[in-house]
Amino acid sequence: MKKYSVFSLIKNAFNKHQDWDVAWRDPEPKKEYDAIIIGGGGHGLATAYYLAKEYEIKNIAILEKGWIGGGNIGRNTTILRSNYMHDANNLFYDHGMQMWKDLSQELNYNVMYSPRGILNLAHSDAQLNAYSRRGNSMRLNGIEASLLGREEVRKIIPFADFTDNARFPIFGGLMQSIGGTARHDAVAWGYARAADDLGVDIIQHCEVTGFDIVNGSVQGVQTSRGFIKTNKIGLCVAGSTSILAEKLNMSLPIESHVLQACVSEPVKPLLDGVVTFGAGHFYCSQSDKGEMVMGGDLDGYNSYAQRGNLPTIQHVLTEGVALFPNLSRLKMLRSWGGIMDMSMDGSPIIDKTHIEGVYLNCGWCYGGFKATPVSGLTFAHTIATGEPHKLNAPFKLDRFHTGHLIDEKGLGTKTWIS
Amino acid sequence: MLEIKCPYCGRRSQNEFSYGGDATVKRPKLNKDISDGEWDEFIYYRKNPRGIHLELWHHTSGCRQWFKVKRDTSTHEIVKTFMIEEESQ
Amino acid sequence: MTNAQIFRTQEGGKIDREEKISFIFNGKKYYGYKGDTLASALLANGIHLIGRSFKYHRPRGIIAAGVEDANGKVQLSRNNISEPNVNITEVELVEGLSFKSQNCWPSVTFDIWAINNFLNRFFPAGFYYKTFMWPKSFWYNVYEPIIRKAAGMGTASLKPDPDRYEHRYEHCDILVVGSGPSGISSALAAAKNGARVILAEDKPRFGGSLQIDEVTIGNKNGNEWVDEAIAELKSMPNVIIRNRSQVFGYYDHNMLVMFERCKDHVNNSEAFTPRERLWYIRAQEVVLSTGSIERPLVFANNDRPGIMLSSSAREYLKIYGVFVGKKPIIFTNNDSAYETAIEYKNNGIDVLIIDTRNNSDSGIVNETKKLGIKIKFAHAIANTSGYKKVKSVTIGKLNKEKNAYTKLEEVKCDSVFVSGNWTPTVHLASQSGNKLNYDTNTDSFLPSISRQDETVIGSANGSMTLKESLKEGFEVGYKLSKKITKGNIQTTIPLSDEKQLGDHDKFWCMPLPTNKNYKRFVDFQNDVAVSDIQLAVQEGFRSIEHVKRYTTLGMATDQGKTSNLNGLQLVSDIEKKIVPEVGHTTFRPPYTSVTIGTIIGREVGKNYKATRKSPMHTWHEKNKAVFVDAGLWLRPRYYKQNNEDLFEASKREALNVRNNVGICDVTSLGKIEIKGKDSAEFLNRIYTNAFLKLPIGKARYGVMLREDGIVFDDGTTTRISENHYHMTTTTAQAANVLSHLEYYIQVVWPELDVVVVSVTEQWAAAAIAGPKSRLLLSKIFPSEEVSNESFPFMGYKEFKFKETTARVFRISFSGELAYEINVESDFGLQMWEEILNLGEEFKIQPYGTEALSTLRIEMGHIAGSEIDGRTIARDLSLESLLSEKKDFVGKRSLNRKAFTDNNREKIVGLVPIDKKTNIPEGSHLVLDKNASLPNPKLGHVSASCWSVEYNNPFSLAIVKNGHNKLGEKLYAVSPLKNVSVAVEVVSQHYVDPEGKRVRS
Repeated sequence: MKKYSVFSLIKNAFNKHQDWDVAWRDPEPKKEYDAIIIGGGGHGLATAYYLAKEYEIKNIAILEKGWIGGGNIGRNTTILRSNYMHDANNLFYDHGMQMWKDLSQELNYNVMYSPRGILNLAHSDAQLNAYSRRGNSMRLNGIEASLLGREEVRKIIPFADFTDNARFPIFGGLMQSIGGTARHDAVAWGYARAADDLGVDIIQHCEVTGFDIVNGSVQGVQTSRGFIKTNKIGLCVAGSTSILAEKLNMSLPIESHVLQACVSEPVKPLLDGVVTFGAGHFYCSQSDKGEMVMGGDLDGYNSYAQRGNLPTIQHVLTEGVALFPNLSRLKMLRSWGGIMDMSMDGSPIIDKTHIEGVYLNCGWCYGGFKATPVSGLTFAHTIATGEPHKLNAPFKLDRFHTGHLIDEKGLGTKTWIS
Repeated sequence: MLEIKCPYCGRRSQNEFSYGGDATVKRPKLNKDISDGEWDEFIYYRKNPRGIHLELWHHTSGCRQWFKVKRDTSTHEIVKTFMIEEESQ
Repeated sequence: MTNAQIFRTQEGGKIDREEKISFIFNGKKYYGYKGDTLASALLANGIHLIGRSFKYHRPRGIIAAGVEDANGKVQLSRNNISEPNVNITEVELVEGLSFKSQNCWPSVTFDIWAINNFLNRFFPAGFYYKTFMWPKSFWYNVYEPIIRKAAGMGTASLKPDPDRYEHRYEHCDILVVGSGPSGISSALAAAKNGARVILAEDKPRFGGSLQIDEVTIGNKNGNEWVDEAIAELKSMPNVIIRNRSQVFGYYDHNMLVMFERCKDHVNNSEAFTPRERLWYIRAQEVVLSTGSIERPLVFANNDRPGIMLSSSAREYLKIYGVFVGKKPIIFTNNDSAYETAIEYKNNGIDVLIIDTRNNSDSGIVNETKKLGIKIKFAHAIANTSGYKKVKSVTIGKLNKEKNAYTKLEEVKCDSVFVSGNWTPTVHLASQSGNKLNYDTNTDSFLPSISRQDETVIGSANGSMTLKESLKEGFEVGYKLSKKITKGNIQTTIPLSDEKQLGDHDKFWCMPLPTNKNYKRFVDFQNDVAVSDIQLAVQEGFRSIEHVKRYTTLGMATDQGKTSNLNGLQLVSDIEKKIVPEVGHTTFRPPYTSVTIGTIIGREVGKNYKATRKSPMHTWHEKNKAVFVDAGLWLRPRYYKQNNEDLFEASKREALNVRNNVGICDVTSLGKIEIKGKDSAEFLNRIYTNAFLKLPIGKARYGVMLREDGIVFDDGTTTRISENHYHMTTTTAQAANVLSHLEYYIQVVWPELDVVVVSVTEQWAAAAIAGPKSRLLLSKIFPSEEVSNESFPFMGYKEFKFKETTARVFRISFSGELAYEINVESDFGLQMWEEILNLGEEFKIQPYGTEALSTLRIEMGHIAGSEIDGRTIARDLSLESLLSEKKDFVGKRSLNRKAFTDNNREKIVGLVPIDKKTNIPEGSHLVLDKNASLPNPKLGHVSASCWSVEYNNPFSLAIVKNGHNKLGEKLYAVSPLKNVSVAVEVVSQHYVDPEGKRVRS
């Protein structure tokens, strides 16, 4: 792999950029692989990368039915954070936050990791106390967090509604200053390029149509491009998990729902970090291009259509303007939807399955993007060693039998309510 | 915005309704001796098809009746709606 | 400045030359006419340089006359409101507008950032992914802030939007989107056949291409026919017709959404006029007559101001009476640009046509030749020059392969009108789910099979002639209306005449002159050039979605309306694939950017969410209540006396309950009436504890679980008569509990004879609590028997109050002797005031939620902070309420491994060892406050108060193995507040653990 740097950029600039290599190859599938990752999204690409890099499995393929990075890795609102309450989530995501810090250098690809802070706003003392419980949990786990009062919040977002006209006034907020954003496409492409460099075959337009299971262990996959032999399969297909699980005769505690997001037209810098509204469900940041990136609730019914309806966007923007009244005058430029793999306790599943050689990575709900590096690392560990990494040990499938649930929001199994 | 035909009130826009998930889930009978697995299946495992899905909706801002909807999850097209006691074929 | 308008024609156009309007652009005053857009007014004054491009800061001008324009974005001030990224081709000129160029500093004519253009070789597509990586923190500390400042186009106002937006919901039989020839004819045909029709046009004027094409319909010219047809439609009661109305989204089940501009185009609009109105339209059938957009050609330096789409140049001339240039060159690969040539020639302007085709023998070309217009076939524009406006072009004769020039010559000009044929506007069809097919006739994507009930007609459907459009319009309008109305009135299709156009050249991207490295732009606003697309493909970004994301092609505010197809064509040329193999990117709503305020409507400020108030709210306000939000309810948190703060007031109020009597508004608690002969059985299944044998006239505390075993809600339920119960829920869960009950009644156990209904708003409720509450009760209801024997704890009575009946429950949340009195809401205030009057002698005081909290915490009663969706009954010491004799909702979950673990958390009380330091809510409990991190957590503090009984702090906490930790010393730590408090674990029931007071 030819290294990217400012020097390579200058050198190529004087050569009309004709010498840049492909970022990743476009190989034909081999007959056999040591491991196959299904799903060329962020988690799949990262898993393959760490398998090749950390676990010395080199003969790996990623099978993607469309084009890599086209699912939720390219459809999210790019937020990075580890401001959770439960230890399992706290420690897992925070390991991820440490990985983000070095990711651009690790991959030799600028993923635009930008820790400009994430601020959860509270609109009552009771909510501030609930946030304190979470923030204190973070602090006791060694994760930076701070509690801000109304005036401290005002300094950060002076254009928020601090008037008497606010239906739910801002009382304060919980700040994680290393929270922030990264460029979603760059994460997919960076992992793809780095994995490809380690010999991983990224095979696009290759749909998995079935599995060969003999005596409870996997022998290979049938694909739209023929049968491929392997003894290890990692499923990283987010919203499509249930469809593949059905081909494995597995049912999972997962529902697929559409989540929409939208952006405004670009404007000059207005909002530096990420802000969430506590009297509803709204999150907002501003991209480097200047677009206000906004999201909120699910559309609220099972869906595999990557499209939602306007009332959900209306709802999200209503909350946005309740928080930032000046947003009203901006224009919404684009909206889109992604299919979320909603688990029954809101936390992910990274585990082996009852089928020897079949491993599962799903249940990311709205929160998969920030987990990309740590999910890849721990899933690679689970696939390579057959046992979970200590960070993903709590994210077992059998917690839905033992009752060791990790329910951050306390909402239970109604996945469509947020 | 979906348009849902409440079997009692007729066609209404989705914002009058609340969703209730997989309608094929049957609560085990009270006092029935069932395995842990069967119970967990009831609580956590739902059908999640891409395609036709039989689901519950509740006319919360209307007649407050729960009813069944047969809907395609890949297109959002509603095939038919049913009262709870109706056979959903 | 005088009314120069030197590029205005002497006459003609649809502007009102009687009404002159001034405006300010970049600090200078100009004039235009009523009926102008900002763009036409600028062009009339010879102004082409509007702004700078996103990346290279190249000078840019207007390229179109409608929503497809990529460059004409300004910062507009109107009535002291400043708005970014305003499209000058869409905004109509009214008095008082001032606007300026964006994305340039210090000015649009001299922009420092234009240095980027000279360094552009260093900024190819995706350059930022390849650099800015070292040193590590420099990305977000140094490079990114610079990039953020440089990006972003206009500036958002920091002030709230003072304008008002409204929503309207409408149903119709047929929605027709677009008022060109096909749209108008389908609306006419459908309306005459009895259908309820909505016709929507995004521009101020109806008619679409009929306004600028030289055609006849029947015996009228295009404009006359439009005027008559629109007048006829407006006269029909079954037609709603709206101009300035953009249908921007096609959603599920034929729900379309449109915004209508109501205010900005009007001078001195009336008060309360909404700026824009959002229409949610549910249509049985949708006719998409959305027309088509002219496609640019791609050539070296094709982005200079003065280079415009040819049909737009014609539109400026015919509608606005503006010459875009007086020495124009027309550059085309098809016949439609010849219409512009003829129009300019007829207005006395000489034009030169550069045509990439080897020849054309169509009617219009021959007509052009007859007019003496010079045509250069097999030629192309190889380059252009002129920094702030095009000054000349280099034209070249194309070789046979069309990949080089055999001869170059420079020609002076002041404008270039470009045509690369037409792209049907299929966005809405695609949003609806229509799978588009590539059509090699028009070289564009056309709708194929509809997923919803929509029909695409006219040029949006690839029907490029007037004759076809009218035929489709009338036929479709009739056919669809017949389906709905069963009517059979068929309108005759009028005869029409139009210019005969020949085939276009399948050639869009011009070669560069030998050894030149000029930029050939595909996406103007985002500065995506041919070289960027080539680089993307070279680097393996081959899917069109990858190309789009890597180069940002089509991602600017114009959403690629003029660039998408050229981009696709390029990728297919480079990849040697046909266009349909490359595919197209997904069209998503909105079709054009929509004001966020319009999407929201009236739910702003205090109206963001409804505010629920009890019937006693006005009294609370008058009596200095400080309110707190409890969901949508506003509840008194405390009643301020003198200079008290929250702490002092709530302490006073709580103490008065303990010592005398207090009154609390508890209207917001959920109330549900339950009736039917199986009500007892039903409640027995819903609650964890027994309800079958609850006697009439008695209340019982009950706990509900979710099926997964987690505590859902608690409250009391009272048996009013044999088959009639009154249930209370917490304020927060009232709606969820009702849905929960209805689910079990209707879905799970339909055989039970039970009905439920919410009566929360029908009853006003006040709790009177304290040792003197019985005395007070006897004053309120002097004729009733209220002794402990006749009205015991958990008893229920109906007493006469004025001319109504009060429901009185002897229940207590405060732990004191207490009653809850419910009257019909209309009597609420009267009851409240009466109780306060009568209670004066007992030193009654109202108390708010803060005192209520204090009272319940020191009593060890659980509330929302303990029922947090994660706790089970055992955690909250409610195991005595888990009936072993019966099954109930959620019971089967309780024997799961994690739920029977002895080490689970348990509710306890905490008292600071120094009896002084407050324990912050949200603290966690640890054994060693100085342990290294991560410090193992034993539990958390769920609720804290100042115990008025003991005059020291007290908290409830949920602690691992808590029931075995009584008497132990732990630390409650809140690192966020830098507080750590040594605490002793005590019983959760700090006051009156035996519960004597409530029974006294």
